[in-house]
Amino acid sequence: MAGLETRGLCKGWDFPLLDQLDLSVEEGEFFVVVGPSGAGKTTLLRLIAGLESADAGRIFIGAREVTRIPPYHRRAAMTFESYALYPHLSVFENIASPLRARGERDPSVRRRVTAIAELLQIERLLERKPDEVSGGQKQRAALGRTLAADPEVFLLDEPLSHLDARIRHDLRRQFHTLEALRKTATLYVTHDYTEALSLGDRIAVIGGGGFLQVGSARDIYENPVSVEVARHLGQLEINVHDAELVAQGGQLQARVAGAGDLSFPVAEQHARQLTAASTSAKREVSLAVRPQHIALAGPDAGGVPGVAESFQAFGATGALTVTVGGATFRVLTSPDLDFREGMPVRLAFDTAHFLYFARDGGRNLARGESGDG
Amino acid sequence: MTAKTTTQTEPQWFVNRKPGRSIIVARWVPVALVSAPVLILFAIVIYPTIWMFYHALQDTNMVRLFQGSWSYVGFANFAGVLGAERFWNSVVNLLVYLSFGACLQVLLGAALALILYETVKSNALRTTLLILMVLPMMLPPSIVGVVWRFLLTPSNGAINQALLNLGLIDSHIEWFNAGVSLWSVIIADVWNWTALPLLIVYSGRVSLPPAVYEAAQVDGADGWTTLRRITLPMLKEIIAIAFIIRFMDALKFVDLVFVMTSGGPAQSSELPAYIAFQRGIRSFEIGEAAAYAIIIFIFSAVLITLFLKYIKKVLNAQGFA
Repeated sequence: MAGLETRGLCKGWDFPLLDQLDLSVEEGEFFVVVGPSGAGKTTLLRLIAGLESADAGRIFIGAREVTRIPPYHRRAAMTFESYALYPHLSVFENIASPLRARGERDPSVRRRVTAIAELLQIERLLERKPDEVSGGQKQRAALGRTLAADPEVFLLDEPLSHLDARIRHDLRRQFHTLEALRKTATLYVTHDYTEALSLGDRIAVIGGGGFLQVGSARDIYENPVSVEVARHLGQLEINVHDAELVAQGGQLQARVAGAGDLSFPVAEQHARQLTAASTSAKREVSLAVRPQHIALAGPDAGGVPGVAESFQAFGATGALTVTVGGATFRVLTSPDLDFREGMPVRLAFDTAHFLYFARDGGRNLARGESGDG
Repeated sequence: MTAKTTTQTEPQWFVNRKPGRSIIVARWVPVALVSAPVLILFAIVIYPTIWMFYHALQDTNMVRLFQGSWSYVGFANFAGVLGAERFWNSVVNLLVYLSFGACLQVLLGAALALILYETVKSNALRTTLLILMVLPMMLPPSIVGVVWRFLLTPSNGAINQALLNLGLIDSHIEWFNAGVSLWSVIIADVWNWTALPLLIVYSGRVSLPPAVYEAAQVDGADGWTTLRRITLPMLKEIIAIAFIIRFMDALKFVDLVFVMTSGGPAQSSELPAYIAFQRGIRSFEIGEAAAYAIIIFIFSAVLITLFLKYIKKVLNAQGFA
């Protein structure tokens, strides 16, 4: 039995937000929903928690239908992006509050709160009021309150968004090992794709009223169903160009529109699917290349000549913008590149990792068989 | 020569600014502006207060006041007040009024405010009910007194008739007999003033963050637990303010007593402020009335000090002060 399930869940205000959403999270599964703001992530959590009522559809927590049950009788624990800590209660009492609501005895409350506070490294703050701790500490207190609840489903709304990098990393690691989360269905909502890819047992990309794609991190990253999904995941945005598929001497070529005679040979596994999917040999597509699948080639190693336009160095990587003909490519490089504006560079494209999308609708035309992990 | 070089180095706005006003205006205008309110304050608050403190120690009454022949009597006025059964009687009445009038108003107002906010979900209906509930407060106490005097008339008043018809009583309640008349005043006052704590608590409840209530629901707290653990603790300062306002008003409560019972029958429904009013304005025993006023003043000073201490403690605990 699924830990959490929704069937045909609909919710809208003066516009439809969630349309016929089906979701199933197993017990002990860490399910991450990632998507841009305004896509309905938080609304989905609020519907499941019972803070909003669904316009249509059904919600199951455990084996029980809870669609019409008030929030305090649903066994769901939720963190709020705004923390929603009780300002008049100490951090201790905040964390203890789900236990108090259940009428648990004092010694067991104290034991459990202390354990959670240690886990979240806020044991020194327990006697303070929420106003007297920092944003990141508030967020941890709110997370602590959720963890204390012992529910059938955890609903986490961007619980790491306001933490500094180190604690964020620590907690992200802890999410994998937390006993409570390993036993319970967890629905985790974030706009941060790295968080999603690193945390999720399964990941759903939300957009346009429903899930665009549900799958493992690897599957979603390497085999996005649509250009929208591909665009959403990735530190540097994926390069997308209009291209034309042309058969040339028994070899399928992708000719990039508006970039002179720039064309790439289509890798064999893609060519098979592209030709199978279309009847005509000539076809308009969107060609997508992730920045890390373009490398700077040495001066005499061949490759496509281009002109470097701009460069940004991040800590561990660099982002170089190169124009080839009329097309612009973002390239992932090392951060210590010796950059001059307008300098000539040579690019080596890894055609095996190219993605081909339909020009209209953005459907992936050559999803690899390797996917569906 | 020097003036010219200065103008060249100064910015344009500085050069073109209005020339400074005369030294007398610049010096005295602020003083004049400040002294006007100070003088008014002195005339209507400070001077009368000093006057009162002075006459509390004199044997002033109307005749001596006009003849200018009052004389110092030490604390005789205070001794007279504190030694009189009439005063202690009024203190007992005040305690009854505080606990069953002022307290009841706050508790009733808070309860009504929270019930209104939590149970009525339609915004329009809620606003309408709120306005209706607040209406009694808009009436002047003298009108309220007259209205309730009519309603409570023993022989053919509406209240007695209603109670008789409902079968709750067998014979007329004598609302204005000794021992009952204070309660009649309290009933009218509760009707008149419950709206004030209601408004205060209602606005306090409206301003509480809704996210906290959602968190409480998700935590599994039902309505009663939420009220006990969230709403009341977060509203406790607001409710304290409502209490203090009604208590301060209670100490100077004269109007309804005057209109409804005139302290009667036989001074049985008198409150200290009413006696001060009677002695000072009706009988012109200025010295004695001043002594009453000072005793009430001390009482309210103690009350307000305790209250400020409490507020300070609360603010300290919340890290504001």
